[in-house]
Amino acid sequence: MGGVLTKFLMKHPSILVFLGILSVFTLFVTVGSEAFGVGFISTSLVKTLGKTLCFCLIAIAMDLVWGYCGILSLGHFAFFGLGGYMIGMWLMYERTRLIVENSMANAALPPTPAEIQEAIGTQIFGVVGGAEIPTIWMFAHSLPIQLALVALVPGLLAFVFGWLAFRSRVTGVYLSILTQAMTLALALYLFQNDSGLRGNNGLSGLQNIPGLEAMPQSELSIYFFLLSALALGVGFLIAKLIVENKMGNVIMGIRDNEARVRFLGYHVETYKLFIFVLTAIMAAIAGAIYYPQAGIINPAEIAPIASIYLAVWVAIGGRGRIYGAVIGAALVSMLSSWFTGGQAPNIELGPLRVVWVDWWLVLLGLSFVAVTLYAPKGVGGLFDLLKTERSK
Amino acid sequence: MNEALLEVNNISVSFDGFKAINKLSFSIFEGELRAVIGPNGAGKTTFMDIVTGKTRPDAGEVIWGEKNFSLLNRSESQIAQLGIGRKFQKPTVFEEQSVYDNLLLALENDRQPLSVLFYRRNQSDDAKIEEIAAEIGLADRLERRAGDLSHGQKQWLEIGMLLAQEPRLLLVDEPAAGMTLEERDKTVALLRRAAKTRAVVVVEHDMDFVRKLDCRVTVLHEGSVLAEGSLDHVTENQDVIDVYLGR
Ligand SMILES: Nc1ncnc2c1ncn2[C@@H]1O[C@H](COP(=O)(O)OP(=O)(O)OP(=O)(O)O)[C@@H](O)[C@H]1O
Ligand SMILES: [Mg+2]
Repeated sequence: MGGVLTKFLMKHPSILVFLGILSVFTLFVTVGSEAFGVGFISTSLVKTLGKTLCFCLIAIAMDLVWGYCGILSLGHFAFFGLGGYMIGMWLMYERTRLIVENSMANAALPPTPAEIQEAIGTQIFGVVGGAEIPTIWMFAHSLPIQLALVALVPGLLAFVFGWLAFRSRVTGVYLSILTQAMTLALALYLFQNDSGLRGNNGLSGLQNIPGLEAMPQSELSIYFFLLSALALGVGFLIAKLIVENKMGNVIMGIRDNEARVRFLGYHVETYKLFIFVLTAIMAAIAGAIYYPQAGIINPAEIAPIASIYLAVWVAIGGRGRIYGAVIGAALVSMLSSWFTGGQAPNIELGPLRVVWVDWWLVLLGLSFVAVTLYAPKGVGGLFDLLKTERSK
Repeated sequence: MNEALLEVNNISVSFDGFKAINKLSFSIFEGELRAVIGPNGAGKTTFMDIVTGKTRPDAGEVIWGEKNFSLLNRSESQIAQLGIGRKFQKPTVFEEQSVYDNLLLALENDRQPLSVLFYRRNQSDDAKIEEIAAEIGLADRLERRAGDLSHGQKQWLEIGMLLAQEPRLLLVDEPAAGMTLEERDKTVALLRRAAKTRAVVVVEHDMDFVRKLDCRVTVLHEGSVLAEGSLDHVTENQDVIDVYLGR
């Protein structure tokens, strides 16, 4: 097996280039961090960078499903969010339990398990007017189970949705609309107070890891950053293993001419379902690593627009090349937080005042149109130009 | 009695009330080469659509192989796996992929996602692909992007993909459309060679091409068979002359 992988890497040096750049970047950030190095990279910047790497991972998933398999899913942020909720449940439950048990430990009478449960319930669900712990939290005490649910719940949703949609041969714009409907429905459901996931309050305090209370955020943030980088590296490798093999030929064939692939004897629906579910799980894992760094998740994160942004990232970065998605996600999401964070200097044009917080969307929209019209291969396409220049 | 490889009985199909296929019956034997001709809109492509599972007929039956399988309730991919390969009227190769990859996709192999996922390039498959590439005259272009091939080469690549599928029946829709004379002759030779080991049905408008195929001819008109026999026989048929000269 090791031999096969080595041969594969030798044949596709771009993977080594990518992993090399990622490693150097990781090392640079670690050395620059407050906890492990010189300290010129603030903890909040480390978190931003870690979160950006998670965006890069979901962008890879998007490139697989859209750029390679031709399914323009506008719903992958639903899986990202669900992954976040699944890990968030454990983080919130366990931390609350530890706090509750600590504060009750000094009581005259030792508290009964029922009392502890009720106190946890009140702590977590008080904001939505409840004290009872909903059934969907039945595994929230167990990290291994919630970790499994990170993959299982979004995977199952993707499976059921994909099975219904692909079997009825819904394609193109109709499928995109359906995926938007799916995200919207999920977000609306989560907004409800009785959804069992704290309605619009969402889950919070996720940056505090139960059992690691003593560890400062500066240190934790680096661990999560490293975890994000690892996940991105593995995701990149898996994506490459898929697209640079026969599976890639089949799914690109489906993208370009679905009917033809069918007449070659491939069961197209099964392939689409496989890619859809696989990428949903990738998105969910990205989300599960993202939200402990963000600290909070609420239903607004699953809003339909988020999934549309994801498509914009991948389009700007360049579809069908994996690294393009990474470039697009990193570039656009960083620029976005720079512009909307109020750091960009506003421009005074006489009567017109360009306030970037508001105008950023216009700029993004224009870049999207420009890329679609003038550089359909996106930023990643520039590398193609370099390559052809060199081979001339 | 000698059993037919494919037997189509009394099929009819209509689109919004228009009868594209009308009580059509047709059969072909193992290893037979057959030309199907007919004016535009005669139902030739629709006939192939029905056999390959793309279109469901309103009535009639389609029976396959010595076990007399009905093809009617099978999906496109199942029918393809049973051994029916199809070339479309418009050349449809995967333009973004190399000639090698196009042939690899078509090559007879397990079609299950798991076997595809863990597929590893091997010498025996490479040899088969090289052999087919040589046969269709693309041996030196295996690494080329299929989209960069000439029109004629794309048509051959598509025939090559059909051969790679190792089907027992090949349905070929207008293989010579848009080809130069020389390319046509090559195509005729290719199809005749292919027919040595399997049944081949060729739909073509060009009479000269059909003559060179030198095989039994079926004439379709308004969704049913108008005449059948040698090319000379059918071209002498008064109905056929009427249809082609527009009465
Ligand atoms: N999906 C469809 N919906 C409606 N009408 C159709 C459909 N498919 C075919 N037809 C009609 O059925 C008739 C037969 O079409 P078909 O494509 O089989 O003809 P053909 O013999 O292949 O003609 P050509 O030589 O032009 O390729 C035509 O009149 C066509 O317009
Ligand atoms: Mg036709």
